[in-house]
Amino acid sequence: AEPAVCRRRSPCPLLLSSLPAAVAYSKPRLATFWYYAKVELAPPTPGEIPKAIDSMKAMVRSFQSGRLAQLTVREALRNGLVATEVLMWFYIGEIIGKRGLIGYNV
Amino acid sequence: MIPPVQVSPLIKFTRYSALLVGMIYGKKRYDYLKPIAEEERRIEAEEKKKREELERIAKELAEASEDSILK
Repeated sequence: AEPAVCRRRSPCPLLLSSLPAAVAYSKPRLATFWYYAKVELAPPTPGEIPKAIDSMKAMVRSFQSGRLAQLTVREALRNGLVATEVLMWFYIGEIIGKRGLIGYNV
Repeated sequence: MIPPVQVSPLIKFTRYSALLVGMIYGKKRYDYLKPIAEEERRIEAEEKKKREELERIAKELAEASEDSILK
């Protein structure tokens, strides 16, 4: 009872008989992932949105007051990395919106 | 295990709004590109038909005009 794709080539990596081993391997790792993702990747609760807007205003004010000159290079690099990660979420959203991984399947 | 990091609400908010904006952008661009691609495919199919017609005529002419006793 192997999936159809296995009948054409051998050795076949998709044996159903290896499924329980795969599940046993991934269960604890999924648990760790879920443990961190519940806190770190969770969307903002409605109560956090005003806090986010406040931090945005504070950021704008700090740029205006010239605190930019006191940034260390390390802090600037860290902020740059965080900004890059936020930008990558846009591309992931685009993948979801165009319903294809690479290119537009028109 | 080390406890998970408390992400600042600003970062969470911008992440998920970037995700939403990306989804909308992808959908809009897909809807824009789809009719253009269909139009191109239609034009390509027509041109192909015309080309094949011309080739067929040329082939028939060539076959009719070559005379050889080896046929």
